[in-house]
Amino acid sequence: MAVTETEVDVRSVPLLKRLTEPKVIIGLFVAMWVPLMLYVMFGKYIGNAKDIMLLPAYPATVILYILGVRAFRESWVAVLGLTLVFFWIFMAVTAPYLPLLDPNKPIAPFTVPFTEKRDIFFWLGTDFKGRDMLSRTIWGCQRVLVWGVTATAVAYVVGTAFGLIAGYLSGWWDEIISFLGNVLLSFPVMVLFIVILNYLGPSGFNIVIAVTFASAPAIMRIVRGLALDIKTRDYVFAAQTRGESAFWIMVVELLPNVRGPIIVDACLRLGYTTVAITTLTFLGLGLQPPDPDWGLMIKESAGTAMLWKFSYMLIVPALSVSSLILGFNLLADGLREMSLRD
Amino acid sequence: MSSDKRVHPKVTEAKELMESGRMSRREFVRTAALLGVAAGTAYAMAGLPRPAFADSHGNMPFPADDPNAKEGGILKVAMQIQKVEDPATFSWVEMGNQARHMMEYLAMTGPDNVTRPMLAEKWEANDDLTEWKFHLRKGVMWHNGEELKAEHVVWNVTRWLDADLAAGGIIGLSTYSAMLEEHDTGEKDDDGEPKMVKKMIPGSVSADGDYTVVFKLKKPVLSVAEDCYNYPTAICHPSFKAPLSDNPIGTGPFTLAELKVGEKCILKRVTKTTDGKDFVYWGGKVYLDEIHYYNFDEDNQLVALAGGDVDAIYEFGVEQMELAKSLPGKVLAAKTAQTLLLRMQVDQPPFDDPKVRAAMTMAVDNARAKALVFPEGGSVGENHHVCEIHPEYFKLPEMKRDVDGAKALLAEAGHKDGLEVTIDVGNTDGPWHQTLCEAVRDQLKDAGIKMNINVMPASKFWEIWDKTPFGAVAWTHRPLGTMVLSLAYRKGVPWNETHFDDPEFEAALDDAEATLDVEERRAKMEKVEKILQDANIMIEPLFRPVYTMTSEAVNGYPAHPTQYHQFNKVWKS
Amino acid sequence: MFKLIGRRLIQMVLIMLTASFILFVIFDTPEFKKRLAIQELGGFAVSALDETTYNEWLEKKGLNVPFYQRYFNWMGNTLTGDFGFSYEKNRDAGPLVWEKLANTGILALGVFGLMIPISLILGVLAGMKEASLQDRAVSFISVFFTSIPEVATAIILTVVFALGLGWFPTKSAMISGFSFHELILPVLTLVVYDFGYVARMTRASMAEVMTSQYIRTAVLKGIPYSRVILRHALRNALIAPFTVIVLQLNWLLSGVVVVEVFFEYDGFGKLLLEAALFPDIEVVQACTLVAVAVAVISQIISDVGYTFLNPRIRFG
Repeated sequence: MAVTETEVDVRSVPLLKRLTEPKVIIGLFVAMWVPLMLYVMFGKYIGNAKDIMLLPAYPATVILYILGVRAFRESWVAVLGLTLVFFWIFMAVTAPYLPLLDPNKPIAPFTVPFTEKRDIFFWLGTDFKGRDMLSRTIWGCQRVLVWGVTATAVAYVVGTAFGLIAGYLSGWWDEIISFLGNVLLSFPVMVLFIVILNYLGPSGFNIVIAVTFASAPAIMRIVRGLALDIKTRDYVFAAQTRGESAFWIMVVELLPNVRGPIIVDACLRLGYTTVAITTLTFLGLGLQPPDPDWGLMIKESAGTAMLWKFSYMLIVPALSVSSLILGFNLLADGLREMSLRD
Repeated sequence: MSSDKRVHPKVTEAKELMESGRMSRREFVRTAALLGVAAGTAYAMAGLPRPAFADSHGNMPFPADDPNAKEGGILKVAMQIQKVEDPATFSWVEMGNQARHMMEYLAMTGPDNVTRPMLAEKWEANDDLTEWKFHLRKGVMWHNGEELKAEHVVWNVTRWLDADLAAGGIIGLSTYSAMLEEHDTGEKDDDGEPKMVKKMIPGSVSADGDYTVVFKLKKPVLSVAEDCYNYPTAICHPSFKAPLSDNPIGTGPFTLAELKVGEKCILKRVTKTTDGKDFVYWGGKVYLDEIHYYNFDEDNQLVALAGGDVDAIYEFGVEQMELAKSLPGKVLAAKTAQTLLLRMQVDQPPFDDPKVRAAMTMAVDNARAKALVFPEGGSVGENHHVCEIHPEYFKLPEMKRDVDGAKALLAEAGHKDGLEVTIDVGNTDGPWHQTLCEAVRDQLKDAGIKMNINVMPASKFWEIWDKTPFGAVAWTHRPLGTMVLSLAYRKGVPWNETHFDDPEFEAALDDAEATLDVEERRAKMEKVEKILQDANIMIEPLFRPVYTMTSEAVNGYPAHPTQYHQFNKVWKS
Repeated sequence: MFKLIGRRLIQMVLIMLTASFILFVIFDTPEFKKRLAIQELGGFAVSALDETTYNEWLEKKGLNVPFYQRYFNWMGNTLTGDFGFSYEKNRDAGPLVWEKLANTGILALGVFGLMIPISLILGVLAGMKEASLQDRAVSFISVFFTSIPEVATAIILTVVFALGLGWFPTKSAMISGFSFHELILPVLTLVVYDFGYVARMTRASMAEVMTSQYIRTAVLKGIPYSRVILRHALRNALIAPFTVIVLQLNWLLSGVVVVEVFFEYDGFGKLLLEAALFPDIEVVQACTLVAVAVAVISQIISDVGYTFLNPRIRFG
């Protein structure tokens, strides 16, 4: 996007100030994220390139993490959150290269953790089909991370676009968009999810659509409020008198200035989306087997492992997903704390 | 029933076969019972020990009374609770279970797959099996105090065959389809073809006196008695009006006290008839006071049992076996012909190439796949949809896994670098479908075939089950092997999901179906099974067992291959 | 004020119209009708039906009626209080939904009864002294518990208290009547997930009040600290949490789905999920109307309550 080239009004985005080399960071982020995304979403079509695909993501993740810790070092909450999130991202990108058993291969059913069966030592035991829990837990973070982040990102693109239109153009645009937003917002989220996914059918791409419907209205409201405020600023008037088109003004003048305040919200929303995906998958409306996913692991074990000695099958994925969400929430908390301090 | 004046010639014939070693003793018991010999007698003729439930004390279909049995108590069972509208149009076994203790059947097939007299005390057939006489028990009392009469049964059968009722589950059974003929309605359908409707041939069911019902069939059928115990064929009082749950009048020991679909179904003993008399049940002692069904979906039934909420469950899946074994209680298993077919459509690429299909089946060792999914119980499939528990099953030479052969075939078919296929799986009766596909996938990999597994929700799967080029489809238990072959592999039948079309196969199947002697039929099944196996239209690794479980306190709980509940002699200690 | 309520109610009706219309459009597709047929007749039976028989079946169920006609019929019936019929449960949808809603109401009562005191006390304690140890501890606890999704909380509670210690049953199906014992785990699950959010809101509000001029003045005047808190600060600090708590009603209707499904508790959330999957259109419709009504009405209560409690605010 051309946005990165434009001058950023740093006063309204104090958080970004901490990231010294935005271009480097964006580059690293792309190097980390794009391979992972392709790997998970389109792995079927990639073929043999799959084996080496995630290699560039691996150093990018490490460097990003170090830069992140340096930038946020004044808030231990943010650092802790960042650590949790990056731990799982790191697991996601390195899963294919770790010495793990095949996560889909049945070996020895109902092996409890820390025991040896068939000459293999199972750190976290195996599930009801005999698949290695450690391997499934690590591989399991890939899908929820990729779909969660993608869904949130799409929701932001849509929500921001509508927010800018409603806020900047006002009038009928505002009325219609706000009404539609209100319609969607007055549904309890889960009702919306269930109705949409039941209609479209459960899959990762449909989760993106459902999350967009559920989250975009709230994002739209925030952005609309910001846009209403910003459009009275001098530089917007200047652009208007220069005769710039409305589209140009929205993208070049407004967009960079609403970016800062919504970063904290984005972190929180990543947490919500992760919860939503896990919950929907548990209800059978989300990601589909056989590939591992935490929500699926919970769903599959809920009927087979309701016994004290097998409860590790439930506890392990439950703790994993909680730690990732905790990471997002702590990060949001730390960022908010820092932005208040600025 | 040694006092019987007439023994069907087929029984004598079968006895000779058994004695000459050409028919197994069990098979003889089954055949003899179907032909009207009392089960106890049949077991005696076969020289087999009489299992408890085979006892013909008073010619009852139920197990013998247990001298230790305690009367009274409530049996709580976890099952999905469905609506109970009209028995003739029941579409799920659960519906049949909810009604089975109110509405009874002419005959009853026990857990041992032997059919015994129930409301009919005996039956007999003419020599070419086209005319059957069912003699009703005398003194069977309806809940309204009337006595069961032959005309009541005639009323029921006539109703089942009424086209307006659309009792698909009944008219699909060979007995009843042999009582129907096509009629021109005089109307035309959208394509200008005459609109045909199936109507009962007049006179195919009639009452001979008060206690004899006569069936006249347009072609010979052996399984008339078994077809009288399929779950939609419950006998209702002629005053019946759907929904049944409003005013159930049956002959059974229980009646419906409360029904909340998706919650509970409460059955209570009938003590008084609706006209105030004491109700006398024809079937002897019944121990339980009440039967309570509570709604739990299959995943949660075991947990409900473990928590003490219920005493017994409908079914649990093989993936829950470890959990079941860890719980106190009795795990019960029944052998069935329920199966999963990984079937290919012969007119869809890449499966339109017989070499590809041959490579697929050749690369899989069915026994190994079965052992992974159902280590205990069940039987190995042989890619021809006939199970070893079917009476006419013919044992073909064992199939060998041949990975190199499969690779060679693939190369010949132009897939030198391997083949990638995707199978649709709906897990319609449990996650084991997916597990089985995974086991097959791992074997196919060795031959260079990459099988992707596309798991979809059951409701979506049912929309495409017969349309997808490659799908994992579950078929239920049917008592005879030929029944399912006719339903699934004849050209143009609605359930022909593989689009298989082979006149030679159909001729061989016709021949087998027209052969009533099981031994002869078995010999003819060799060709049928062989053609189907060589067509390589399916990978059929196994026939599965069904599992259920009760608490320690429940005695005499039957494990039926089709999960039919028969609780007359169940008691709680 | 009345103008505000009136406007909100009109908006609610508009939203209900839009929502029910969209749902009707969705569930009127041939695929959904087919799915219903499969549920009623079985997958094998449906594919054996020829077109005429299938159409007859649709006619019998009243599904072949043109879409707009069905929609208007449904609207008319709804206005007279008839919410239609549940195909799945074979009974009228209205009483069915009310019955399940009442069950969820019991659950909600338990949740609010426990969540309100816990979160208010924690929030006030934290907000009293900003950046103190107790503030940081409460903040962290709040974030921590809010981060555990309900399904994970349900699992951990079940494993510890039901499977491990054996104090509570694993499921809350309540098949032999209402049982307080079986209610505890579902209530706890919802409270654990939700209290953190309300506590943080209370904390923020309390912290703001504590920095306000009049509290500082009161403290400087030498009024005892405890009295300042109880008499002056609390009253104002609890206005914001009040609105948040009322809005939790809306959240609860989503939150209960997974909890009710996990614990087999026979409430609104489980009904909604089952109906949507079945697909039991008229039940989904009724549930959606109820959900929208709860959402909008809780919004109105929260707005009105806020104006009442806070005389400085007037809505136009």
